[in-house]
Amino acid sequence: MAVASIAHGSSPEHPVDQLYAETRELRLQGFLLFLISDCVLFSSFIFAYLYLRNSGQGWPPPGIKHLDVAFAAWNSVLLFGSGATMHYALENWKHGNFMKYMWMLIFTIVLGAGFLGGQAYEYTHLIFGEHVSWWGSGIFGASFFTLTGMHGFHVFVGVCYLTVLLLQSAAGVYNGQKFFGITAGTLYWHFVDVIWVVLFSIFYLL
Amino acid sequence: MHLDPAILERTGAIAGGIIVGIVAFYALYKDWATPGVENQVFKLMLLLLGVGAVLAILAGVGALGTFKTA
Repeated sequence: MAVASIAHGSSPEHPVDQLYAETRELRLQGFLLFLISDCVLFSSFIFAYLYLRNSGQGWPPPGIKHLDVAFAAWNSVLLFGSGATMHYALENWKHGNFMKYMWMLIFTIVLGAGFLGGQAYEYTHLIFGEHVSWWGSGIFGASFFTLTGMHGFHVFVGVCYLTVLLLQSAAGVYNGQKFFGITAGTLYWHFVDVIWVVLFSIFYLL
Repeated sequence: MHLDPAILERTGAIAGGIIVGIVAFYALYKDWATPGVENQVFKLMLLLLGVGAVLAILAGVGALGTFKTA
């Protein structure tokens, strides 16, 4: 609690803080451009997958059964839940509730790591149990592992990012006026969630 | 007694989906009037998060997708 009161009580008149406030919009725009470019990257892979899927003879290709939707739905809920906890982490920070913010951030990290664990379990089951692989299962294996792997990597980066945020917050790096890192972390985590909504739909539900 | 793991996963997906859906749509409702680019992006993402939760619920009840293992 001491950290919270110190962190939210710093003076906004300090020249560095003033510069921070003045350039905040620019950094926000830069970060949104980064997210848009990442969105374009995912979109190109997603449209390639959809094109290939619709140009073949039925889907999934012969010899490959459907994916385990029940497990994927459960794992998706872990990731979507982490999006909700991250949103409330930012809200709590804005309202000066430091301990609630820290707990929400910890829940987010745990849920994100849980999602990665679920994905690792699914990969293991597919590769060793069902012999579906990135390199030996044609377009289906290549698209599935490329897209979900790329997303998994983004989640991994996000978990690392949020862990750094947690440590920085505990060290008092952010304050009531200066918390763009937390906002960017929340935007990034929501982005990762939203991409999974699309991937979950096209791979497991369609 | 043998409990099918798929039933647990489906139940978890439905329960979790309901909670996340309520949280996402409530947060969206609460933040509806907030101005600024950043908040518009948050609102869009909360909406899509809510849609994701609804999809997870529908998958959990078996209305979408098929419950087969690859």
